[in-house]
Parts: sequence; structure tokens; C-alpha cells
Amino acid sequence: MRLTRAVFVFYLVFIAAVLAAAFVIGALGR
Amino acid sequence: MKRSLRDNSLSIVFGILLLVVLVGQAFVGHADYNNAARTDGFAQMSLWRFVTSSSFAVDVAENWESEYLQFTLYILLTVWLVQRGSSESKKPTDAGLGSDRSEHVGRFAQLDSPTPVRAGGWWVGIYSVSLTVVMAVIFLLSWSAQAVTGRVALNELRMRDRLDPVSFGGYLASPDFWNRTFQNWQSELLAVGSMAIFAVFLRQRGSPESKAVGAAHDETPDT
Repeated sequence: MRLTRAVFVFYLVFIAAVLAAAFVIGALGR
Repeated sequence: MKRSLRDNSLSIVFGILLLVVLVGQAFVGHADYNNAARTDGFAQMSLWRFVTSSSFAVDVAENWESEYLQFTLYILLTVWLVQRGSSESKKPTDAGLGSDRSEHVGRFAQLDSPTPVRAGGWWVGIYSVSLTVVMAVIFLLSWSAQAVTGRVALNELRMRDRLDPVSFGGYLASPDFWNRTFQNWQSELLAVGSMAIFAVFLRQRGSPESKAVGAAHDETPDT
């Protein structure tokens, strides 16, 4: 289950990081 | 470790493919951007500048939001809507939220049920919709990111044509925003609708997305 939880967290963190980056990029007008 | 990898092979392989394809999108998107800039006589962009640009971000976000809309709708609508004979559907008689017994909640909770289920009360209420909520939140955030970055990307193109930039409100009402949105939504809706009906008559041996090869067309498998 440890790897399963790690994969679960990876997906959530990856999605959150990319979306956060997109908002920052857009807010900066890049 | 080997068994652990096998047990998670589906999500790991899709995750690796995602990263590979996203890197590929960055490279070809960069080349495409610079080709257009060169044609129009504008400055080239470095790869890093491109992957941190709204042009790249909006292309990523518009596809993400449509995928998460697709799954959110599918998770939610298949609670009540059915397709008799489809492996993607519940049996017509099972439409609805299900009983506590079938959902293993309340006094039917099991010893190994997730913590919120064993805790009961409003915890189980929240946990009961957590998949839909997370998918819907990702959809809404991706769609918002598409709007924020799409406006910047559009304004860059408008600046090349010496046109005034559009405001955020103006962008939300613009053909660019809705064209990006609808072109993705229609393809997702087609894929989901056709998958639901194709799975009635067509098969893939060994796939959980398919009925057993020899199952009758009107047999809706147990979920």
C-alpha cells in the first residue's frame, strides 16, 4: 500500500503544482 | 518491490507516459511557436521561456479541464443514468445512490473500511462524494487556469496585430475562450457516449472496461 499511496500523492501534487504554475504564469502576464 | 510495482502498474505507466508526452508537447509546441513567430517576423523564444509562457500553459490547461469535466460528469451521471448491456454502466435496477448495505456504510461498515467510514457522521457524507469533488475541483481550477493564461496568450497575438488587449471579463466572453473550451468538450462527450454504447456490442478480452467476450449483449455486468 505504501507505493500506492506514493503514486496517489504524486498525481495530486503534480496536478496542484502544474496548475499553481499556470496561475502564476498567467498572473505575471508571461 | 516487484509485486508492489505490478500492483500499481496501471497508474505508474500512465504517469510515465504523461511525463514523456508532456515533454514532447513542450518541444514541438516550442518549435511551432517559433515557426509562427519567425513567419510573422517576431522574436524567437527559448525553450524555458516557452514552457513558462501562457501559450504553453493554456494548451495544457484546456485539455486538462475537458478531461476532468468528462470524468466528473461520468462519475456523477452514472449514479442515476444507465446503459443496459454496457460494462460502463450499472444495472438499470441499481440506478441511484445505493443502499448502506451495498455501499458498506453505517452499520454495514467493515473493519477494513476507510477511516471516515468507520468514523461515521458527516465524515462519511463527505467521503461518499470525495472522488467527484476532487475531480470537479481539478476541472474548475484547470478551466480557470485556461481562462487566465488564454487571455495572456491571446493578448500577445493581439499585440502583434497592434490591437488593444482584452480584459479578463472580455476574454471570458470571447470566441477564443469558448472555442478552446467547446472543441475539447465535444470530443470528450463523444468519446464517453460512444464508449458507453460500444461496450454493449464490442469486447476486449481481459479488460475490465469490457464485458466477458461471451457475455450476452443485453447483460449488464455487476460493478
